[in-house]
Amino acid sequence: MIWRQFLMEWRLYSRDRVAMFWTFAFPVVLLLGFGTIFRDGGGPKLSVVRVQSPVPTPRDEALDQALKDLHLQVQSLPKAEAEARWSRGETAAQLEPDGAGYRLRLNSYLMAQAGATAGLVNQAWLVAQARLSGSPEPQRIPAQVESPGHKRSTNYASFLLPGLLGLNLVSMGLFSVGMVNVSYREKGKFRRLAVTPLPKWIFLLGQVLHRLTVTIVQAAILLLVGRLVFGIQNQGSFLDLLLIMTLGTGCFMAFGFALSGFAETSEGYAAISNLVFFPLMMLSGVYFTLDSAPAWLQHLVAGMPLAPFIRALRAVFNDGAGLAGHGVGLVIVLAWGLAAFALAVRRFRWA
Amino acid sequence: MSGPALRIRGLRKAFPKVVAVAGVDLEVARGEVFGLLGPNGAGKTTTLEIIEGLTTADSGEIEILGLTWEKAGQEIRSRIGVQLQSTSLFNKITPREALDLYGSYYPKCRTSKDLLELVQLEDKADAYHITLSGGQQQRLALALALVNDPEMVFLDEPTTGLDPQARRSLWDVVRRMKGEGRTVVLTTHYMDEAEALCDRLSIMDHGQVIATGTPASLIADMELPSVVELTFEGAAPDPAAFAARLGHAVEPRADLWEIPTPDPKALLPRLLEAAEAAAVPFQQVHIRRATLEDVFLHRTGRSLRE
Repeated sequence: MIWRQFLMEWRLYSRDRVAMFWTFAFPVVLLLGFGTIFRDGGGPKLSVVRVQSPVPTPRDEALDQALKDLHLQVQSLPKAEAEARWSRGETAAQLEPDGAGYRLRLNSYLMAQAGATAGLVNQAWLVAQARLSGSPEPQRIPAQVESPGHKRSTNYASFLLPGLLGLNLVSMGLFSVGMVNVSYREKGKFRRLAVTPLPKWIFLLGQVLHRLTVTIVQAAILLLVGRLVFGIQNQGSFLDLLLIMTLGTGCFMAFGFALSGFAETSEGYAAISNLVFFPLMMLSGVYFTLDSAPAWLQHLVAGMPLAPFIRALRAVFNDGAGLAGHGVGLVIVLAWGLAAFALAVRRFRWA
Repeated sequence: MSGPALRIRGLRKAFPKVVAVAGVDLEVARGEVFGLLGPNGAGKTTTLEIIEGLTTADSGEIEILGLTWEKAGQEIRSRIGVQLQSTSLFNKITPREALDLYGSYYPKCRTSKDLLELVQLEDKADAYHITLSGGQQQRLALALALVNDPEMVFLDEPTTGLDPQARRSLWDVVRRMKGEGRTVVLTTHYMDEAEALCDRLSIMDHGQVIATGTPASLIADMELPSVVELTFEGAAPDPAAFAARLGHAVEPRADLWEIPTPDPKALLPRLLEAAEAAAVPFQQVHIRRATLEDVFLHRTGRSLRE
């Protein structure tokens, strides 16, 4: 029964060419876009706008040289032009002459970038001062960009790929799958099934399995494109990757079906899914750290499913690690998945 | 296998704004074609959906094939066939696939080939559902209702919106179901359909059953089993003066007068005489046997189609 349900889902799905095209093409387009932008080396470069001094002094020249030595991208602009750019909000950090010294303006909207830039500019200034006074250059503590698994990848796009896979899967589960389910129910597409002996859990499991395989195919396409276009390699075992993807997909698809049981209309579903999606993203600790959050929140977040999933995915894919150390995390994902599926079956209504 | 196919006692269902079913009792014998006749909003569909397990009643008892929903829901589902008022399938499923898929939900099922032949959809077997005409979709819905070889079939307004030819071919399928020994319960607001198909029927209005019997007995039970009609070109004039002269009730309709009578043969000469004397500008005279429409009108004072 379940097999037939699963096959029929695939058959119907394959007839909806437009939806299918976008399901598979969209992540590829994203990967191609980001991958191309950040193609060369170590990710987005830090840059600083340098307001030109009316009359360049040796001190100015020493500072500019030091900035270049520290691999900052320096954009040297006349005052008026720099001001215009600043007021358009395109500048993260601006270095300008100020009386006897210099001043740094940092854009409050781009703090992550501006903060890092400020550190480098100050180092450059120390170096420049030392060079001018003829004293030995101050020693710097070398820093190096690395993934937590200590495997350096040559390509920024390869760091993007697992995040892209994960994010795509979560949004598919929470947004498309649940939404489709609610809108079919709204249109009465399930009503006829209600008078048959088909158990709800079989119907739902058929759907989850279908989506699971769609996601695996999608991931395979993404990996293939990543490899052919950007030379991104999976550093770990494909079996581990498959296991993680299966657990994660099952979990978030079940999430979508569970949520759809709480919404009467598609509009209602949009609200509910956002309500779940944003905390899931924000509190996952994947996209920024929660070090300054209260302790109780950190404990709560430790039990959420998104972070362990993405971490395991990155560890295997980028660092070539095994699943050791990710057991607890994957059990959390599995537990959430099973709980969500049980809730989905419980809340599911045919009409 | 004894006892009625369906027994309902004191069924009630209220929605926030309306009492849809207000105490319905029904009994349907095995092998019978039973009709629920009534205007839109009479509570036919709600009654049927409660019986089919789609809606829960506020109170009342239902026994289907000797089973109750509380104790044997899955068994009931596997032994009945249902055609909903509108069957919404996936746009790109084909009739053959739909029949195979739904068949797989049941412990025993008929082949899609047989069913397609039964409802004459062989040439559309592999067309997408969305490309089928209304009549073809309705026939597929009928085939789906038969996919599990059910003992009892429920059809909710099976011919609404179909052209006359499509209606006739659906009637044939219903008659064949009866021929195969199935019990059929159908709702309709077409009196001709009820007369043509049903062994027995209940007339429903405002959530209640107002009469039950065979079509012939319901008509015979009326005090006035025949109607003489005078038709007019355009709107019918006010019959009050004429009725007084004739000494008999005359009911005006849009473009005709209806004169119900137990004995048209005796009335007719007097009627024509009076009409000529009063110079009533009628076009034609019809005498017709009363129909279920008249039974409904007689019982409720309203027309079925209002």
